[in-house]
Amino acid sequence: MLKRIFAISLILSCFIVMPTHAADFPTKEVQIIIPYSAGGATDLIFRALAATTGKYLGKAVVVVNRPGGGGTVGVTEVAQAKPDGYTLLSAITPLTILPHRVTTAFTYKSFDPVINVVKDPGMFLVKSDSPWKSLKEFLDYAKKNPGMITVGNSGAGGGVHLIALAFETTAGVKFNHIPFAGGGPSVTALLGGHINAVSVSPPEGIEHVKAEKLRIIALFAEKRFELFPDVPTVKEQGIDFVMGQWRGLAAPKGTPPDAIKKLHDAFKKGMDDPVFIKNAKDMVVNLSYLGPEDFGKLMAHDDEFYSKLVKEMKK
Amino acid sequence: MFESLQQLATGFTIASTVQNLLYCLIGCIVGTLIGVLPGLGPIAGIALLIPATFSLNPTSAIIMLAGIYYGAMYGGSTTSILLNVPGETASVITCIDGYQMAQKGRAGPALAIVAIGSFIAGTIGIFGLVFLAPPLAEAALAFGPPEYFSLMVFGFVVLSNVTGKSFLKSLMMAIVGLIIGTIGLDPVTGDARFTFGSIYLLGGIEFVAVAIGVFGIGEVLVNINQPSELLDQGVLMPRLRELYPSFQDLKKSIGAILRGAVSGFGIGLIPGPAPVIATYTSYMIERRVSKHPEEFGKGAIEGVAGPESANNSACQAAFIPLFVLGIPFGPVTAIFLGALLIHGVSPGPLMISQHPGLFWGVIASMYIGNFILLILNLPLVPLFANILRIPKRILLPLVILFCMTGMYTVNNSVFDIWMMLLFGAMGFLMRKWAYEGAPLLLALVLGPKLEVAFRQSLMISHGNFEVFISRPISIIFLLATVIFLVFPAVRLIFKKSKKGGG
Amino acid sequence: MNRDEIIGGIAIFLFGMATALLSLGMPIGTFRMAGTGFFPLCLGILLMVLSVLFLSKLFFQGKKVSVKREFVERHGSIKQLTFFFGTMVLVTLFFNRLGYPLTSLLLMVALLRILGIKRWGLNILISVVTAVGSYFLFVKWLDIPMPKGWIGL
Repeated sequence: MLKRIFAISLILSCFIVMPTHAADFPTKEVQIIIPYSAGGATDLIFRALAATTGKYLGKAVVVVNRPGGGGTVGVTEVAQAKPDGYTLLSAITPLTILPHRVTTAFTYKSFDPVINVVKDPGMFLVKSDSPWKSLKEFLDYAKKNPGMITVGNSGAGGGVHLIALAFETTAGVKFNHIPFAGGGPSVTALLGGHINAVSVSPPEGIEHVKAEKLRIIALFAEKRFELFPDVPTVKEQGIDFVMGQWRGLAAPKGTPPDAIKKLHDAFKKGMDDPVFIKNAKDMVVNLSYLGPEDFGKLMAHDDEFYSKLVKEMKK
Repeated sequence: MFESLQQLATGFTIASTVQNLLYCLIGCIVGTLIGVLPGLGPIAGIALLIPATFSLNPTSAIIMLAGIYYGAMYGGSTTSILLNVPGETASVITCIDGYQMAQKGRAGPALAIVAIGSFIAGTIGIFGLVFLAPPLAEAALAFGPPEYFSLMVFGFVVLSNVTGKSFLKSLMMAIVGLIIGTIGLDPVTGDARFTFGSIYLLGGIEFVAVAIGVFGIGEVLVNINQPSELLDQGVLMPRLRELYPSFQDLKKSIGAILRGAVSGFGIGLIPGPAPVIATYTSYMIERRVSKHPEEFGKGAIEGVAGPESANNSACQAAFIPLFVLGIPFGPVTAIFLGALLIHGVSPGPLMISQHPGLFWGVIASMYIGNFILLILNLPLVPLFANILRIPKRILLPLVILFCMTGMYTVNNSVFDIWMMLLFGAMGFLMRKWAYEGAPLLLALVLGPKLEVAFRQSLMISHGNFEVFISRPISIIFLLATVIFLVFPAVRLIFKKSKKGGG
Repeated sequence: MNRDEIIGGIAIFLFGMATALLSLGMPIGTFRMAGTGFFPLCLGILLMVLSVLFLSKLFFQGKKVSVKREFVERHGSIKQLTFFFGTMVLVTLFFNRLGYPLTSLLLMVALLRILGIKRWGLNILISVVTAVGSYFLFVKWLDIPMPKGWIGL
């Protein structure tokens, strides 16, 4: 008797797990692959977005971390994934940087852009008790002592490192760049006084600026921060330099346009959701929506820009 | 200080609401399950469950996530003891004596002492957190690249021979570990190293793959290579009263537990993979302090009690930099940072003053969590110990399935499974040639950081080696290393001259 | 079993040499700006030195066994070991293609058989229960992404 019940339940369980038929998109959950480990800025932003978008899409949006290779492993995986709309990539600026630095199996052209979510400016932070009270003092010292000011970054060849390098060229100075394993350690080193300045982008370091332990000495944005209205941008001070990082979503090339449209609309609603807006505000990230076409143009533009910049670097 | 106590009391009130107690319980249970599965460490578990906490208020959310954290720590040591499979990085040391105890039928006492030791360490840790937090956090900031390098050198030299067998062989294993650690992207220049064009190797070899491979798979292969009759047996089955530690066991362990708790707490404050280092250090201390060092490696209960307690207090101490400075020093605390941010709480210098209820509530719930885990795990000891009764013919394939599943969950990568198998084969050979796995794993963890700190220091100082000697903390560690290396040789010389003269 | 120790020592020497040779192909740099190959080169050389030290110690100590080995000397069948490991390799090859539930099922069936569970009834029972159980535990309940394979689970 028991054996029979067992046998029947075994057979029944097979039916539960039979494949479902393809229907309207989406019929199952959508995955966002993040090519970095959990806890980083990108990770946080997309987890927050995934949480609010689920209900607009009708199916859950799940974040999967696929770290490795300085960000290349995860990107490669999505580039080679089935373009059915169920696997997305958190596309951030390094997507247009990496192919020029190392041999990769992808370029930004391997993807169809869906939507851009945030765009944050780069900035330099120093300790509040640092001797340089203004950007001018900072740069004057750098000019007189080339290669002496140590500027930390979150990783060699990474987004903020390149921002620092580009700023060097524009401002006509030379820094001593010290790489760290991520934004966290670089900010820690600054707090401990082991380096003079650090190149970051929000939300890294923001808390410490709020607590007045660190100061923004250079801001590479178009406009001032809402939260810190007394901090001038470098543009206002005569150096025409605006650079930052964007973070958005992209799908493998060849994804059906109506899947992209549905994804785009759902994520846009997710972005407009008050819970997400509050989260973003707390993290001091700058929401900057771009639709697929504009996002594509942004990627193309940056790709060319970084191609040139990296060539300069390699010299 | 008095104010801290008052606030702690408030914290307990918050943590003891039925709601929060329930979340703590759920967290602990889920965490234990996650920890038991090798590879799927607290990181993945917490990350997976963050969305589930969105509807909760920040305090409850963090309480649940923290519960998952310790639960995972407990669960991790369970598989180390029973199957020689490290549930996660900090459980590697537990494999050494814990597994031997289980093989001798003493799995019960081993499992129990882990629960008891962790609980006691947790209690001590709470006091540390409450009274020492802010000043200690600031002290951790004094560690810059040169200090870090000297610390790593010291740790490396001291801990390479953690098991006390041939120093030369342990050192060789450690160097092999360092070399394996260089595979991947050069952390300073970003160029690829030893990757032979494979994109998977760009991120380096996953530590968990090596740990599970060398210890877990290696052990399975060694077992299979034994005569066939042995496969029919399970492990020796203990009698009921041998399921829990004897009074003697407890007496032996209490010293280890206390030492582990204190040392673990101190180490936990330092940036980096603190829990792993804490366990190695505690093992080393216990072996040196013990009156019967030859028992280590064969099932000495101190070798389990000490490291596990150190592990627990290191994990607690790791929260200090997170809450006080807003900076996570390790991957797990990094996820907590994320969870806090998503809930609108930004840890940092302002956090304690802005969200005192959250801070003290979480601290109080850490204590409650430890307690819950104790009462949750102690009754489970017989259940777990009985797993070893399963004949090896059936148990070994289960272990393999278990390891493969767990390995895959870390990075969703089949490549990791290949690495695990490769290192499993290597672990088998290592056993054949009598080499220890612990130094290799330690080197794998410390190596990349050692190299980075070295190069960073030289970059900052423009190539001037003085930087390592001119800073106080750095020179202390370097001197300690030298003393440690020279001391045995000096002692040997003295012994010889005494013998010769007398 | 001195022979095992000697083989081990030589293997390590070769590994060190390979490392050193490969690192020479990378920029070494200077102390100020250590290149990519700097650290591995030092390590490779160090390893070679240590293994030579080790091997010479072995020779000078002659037949004296320095380490008491707890490793069981009697060997089980090499065939069994090979089949076991071979199955693990095969299963990993098809992991993504077959999907998790199938893979775990096949793995269990094969390994149990190799280790000598001759009665197919018992074998299948254990394998199915384990495979189904772990599927439900990890994929359904804990929500952990596992490869779906062609049957789409």
